[in-house]
Parts: sequence; C-alpha cells; structure tokens
Amino acid sequence: MIPVCRLADLPRGEAYRLETDPPVAVFHTDDGEVLAIDDTCTHQDASLADGWVEGCEVECPLHASKFNLRTGAVDAPPARLPVRTHQVVLEDGVIYLLLSDAPPNLPPCAVARAGGGFA
Amino acid sequence: MPTTSLPESLIATLPGGYYTSPETFAAEQEHIFESMWFCAARSSDLGKPGAYRTVTVGRESVLLTRARDNSVRAFFNVCRHRGARLCTQESGEVSRAFQCPYHAWTYDLQGKLVAAPNLTKMPDIDRTAYGLAKVAVTEWLGYVWICLADDPPSFEEQVVGEIVARLGDVGAIERYAVADLAVGRRIVYDVRANWKLIVENFMECYHCATIHPELTDVLPEFANGYAAQYFVGHGAEFGADVKGFTVDGSDGLDRIPTVAEDQDRRYYAITVKPQVFVNLVPDHVIFHRMYPLAVDRTVVECDWLYLKEVVDAGRDLSRSVELFDRVNRQDFAACERCQPAMSSRLYAGGGVLVPSEHHIGAFHDWVHDRLADRLPR
Repeated sequence: MIPVCRLADLPRGEAYRLETDPPVAVFHTDDGEVLAIDDTCTHQDASLADGWVEGCEVECPLHASKFNLRTGAVDAPPARLPVRTHQVVLEDGVIYLLLSDAPPNLPPCAVARAGGGFA
Repeated sequence: MPTTSLPESLIATLPGGYYTSPETFAAEQEHIFESMWFCAARSSDLGKPGAYRTVTVGRESVLLTRARDNSVRAFFNVCRHRGARLCTQESGEVSRAFQCPYHAWTYDLQGKLVAAPNLTKMPDIDRTAYGLAKVAVTEWLGYVWICLADDPPSFEEQVVGEIVARLGDVGAIERYAVADLAVGRRIVYDVRANWKLIVENFMECYHCATIHPELTDVLPEFANGYAAQYFVGHGAEFGADVKGFTVDGSDGLDRIPTVAEDQDRRYYAITVKPQVFVNLVPDHVIFHRMYPLAVDRTVVECDWLYLKEVVDAGRDLSRSVELFDRVNRQDFAACERCQPAMSSRLYAGGGVLVPSEHHIGAFHDWVHDRLADRLPR
C-alpha cells in the first residue's frame, strides 16, 4: 500500500496529485467519498486533479471530458478510453492506495514525453 | 491658431487636426485612456461569478469578470502563452474558467493558470506569474472603473474630485443612490465623430434651443445658452408647467427618496473626464460612457437608471427614456456633422468659442496638458 496523505489534509471538494508513474489523482468528493483514478486525461496530457468535480464525476480542465470517479468510464467526450481506478484504503485517518496493475490508457504525448519532437 | 487677432468675445478651439490625426488619437489613447481611470461597465453587467464583458480601452482589450468571491476582476484580454485574444465575445458567461481557443491554456476567474496541455510536465511554470495580467479595478456608483496605468492615479482625485468640483460636494451625488438603481434601459450609439467633439457638445448649451426643442421645453432656462455645467452646484430648473423629465413634460417615475428638496425638479449634469457624462434628475440618472475606438469613431453606451422597484414592476419608461434618447440622437448628429469638416483646410486653425462656451477652453487646456510634448511633430 502507498500512503497518500492524512484524510484531514484533503478537504471535501479537493484533489491530491500523487507523483507516481503515471501519476494518480485522489479525490475527496463533496459527499465524503475518497476515490482514486489515473491523474492524466486519456485524451491529452492534462491533470485531472486540476479539473472540476461534480458528484462522482471529474471534468478535465482542458477539453471537458468527464470521467466517472468510481468506474473510470468516460461520461463525456472527447476522451474515448477510460482511466484506471485504484483501490483506496483508509486506516487511522490516513489514505492509502492499492495501485491497479492493469495497463494505463495514457494520451499519446504523455507516453511519448521522453522522446519529444511531437506537434 | 489666430488667438492674437480674436475679438474679446471669442476664444479659439483646438485646431482641426486634433480631431482627425491618427497620431493625436494614438497619443490620447496612451496618455489619456490608458493612463486614467476609465468607466468600463455597469457592475450589474457582471451579474454573477463567471459573467464577463470585454471592452476596448485605449489600444487594449480588457476582460472584466466576477470571481467566485463576488469581487470584480479585470485582466488584459491576452493569453500569456502565444498572445491569442482570450475572449472575442463582447459579453458572456463561463462556468469556471477562461480557456484560450488556440492551445487551451486555461485560467480561473482570478486569472490563475489552472491547466494547459503538458503543464504537469513543466513544474517550473509559476501558475500566478503566468496567469492573466491584472488591471487595476474599483467599483463606484454601481460602475466598474479600471485603470491600465502601471501606477494608477488617485481615484478620489480624478473621479470623485471631478464630481465634487461640479456639484460642490460628493453628498450631492450620493443622494441619488446611483449604485442601488437598476438599469431600466440601455442604448448604444455608434457615433462617427471624434470623442472630443462629443465631450465639447455635452459641456455647452449654446446649441440647446436650436437642436433640442423637447429638452428646452422641459428646461426653459436652456434657451439662454448656459449649460448646467457652466456653473458649480447649479441644477437647471424644470419649467413651471412641467411635471417630469419626460419627452412631453408629463409625469416621470417614482422620485428617488433620498434626493434633497433643493435637488427636486432640477437637472444636473457632470462630465467626468475623460469619458463619462452623468445626468441627474429626481426620478432617474442617465449615465453615458464613451468608448473612443478610432479618431473618427466613438461608441457611447448610455444607461437609464431608475429605482429597482420601478424597473422590477415593469413600469412604462418610454416617455422618460425618449427625452434623452432624442437629445442624444440630436447631439450625435451634430457631432457627425462637424467631423467631416474637421479636415477642411478652412478649419485647419480651428474655430471659435462664444462666452457661454468659454469653459470648454479649460477642457482644451487639459487635453494640451495631457499630451504636452507627447504629440509627434
């Protein structure tokens, strides 16, 4: 399990970006749920932790793709592929993650970032 | 200018070139409109967080919006990335953020850069430093005033001071509760004339009996040619048989209750340089804002403000609005009549001002001071 932060340090309505590879976004929803998905939008490299949460959906700040925080499914385009979800464990007021071992759906530029030279 | 040969009754106007020269206009944009407080919008135009307006001030486009904390914000309407115009609409509403349509740099309502493609791979980009560039902003009389200067002048001196100079004290305008009034009607005029012709026209009443028959019927003293602005603290009195400030002298709307007895049945007018005219009558306020867009083109946005309950009740404002709408159309037609002749060789040295217009000379001195040594030779 990877420790993220104390639950008390992540107020409702806010998100925490964990600098794993690829990074993970942990959301504390207005309803009090703590949910984790891959942080990178599958359409173009943008941080979903910088996006806007309504209910259990996050809207990408760049092109308004929406992902379901529980299932990772695409609720609104232009994204086509889902994000992975990760299991959240709360113990003694601390948020831990069990990372998914499925292959991530990263956008082209996030995969190619080491190579550079793309338009 | 033939100042030395003028008879004593006359003083000179500005030379014709001041109204036609793009170089003069460019100097005015820089040293007047981009240097002073500029009345940009009615606060209620930004009715809720995310509502926005774009306005042209001098050579700049300025984006006005209301942030989540309900404060009004003003920014240069320029993306910090590659300079694309961020908002091209004159007004609208965003839910959460302004996004550049070119590369999707995304700014929140306080101007902070909140997202951009690959932004997380560039952690050295400071999201505030690369946020939208702020413009100084304040609210007064229910209007949003902005200043593009790096070091804005005192709002008290420039704006409030001008009203005090005309009305005698700031309490005189506070009694009209201008911030609490509601916009009953807005009319936008696209005037093909230099902004100074419009200011000069508004300052004098020598033309009133000739081109404003309805206004002169309501304010008979205007027939003597002396504008309310010629004096300090003087309001032109309604004619004895006039019931209200309407196109036919019929009853107006509900009187603003805080208006003083000695302000009742009177009309006051104020020019707040460089681009605001305010007219005060007992039941409403007529508030003009000019947007000079070119040396020979000025957009004038005019609001008729009434008690909120009058507007909410859907009362008939037509006769009330029509009086000053006619005055505006009459005035702007006169300005448009002058504009083409400003480039006549006959007017190269300018024209003359009669005694009831001599106070316009102070406006010309002010223009000269603002542009002193800054005009291209």
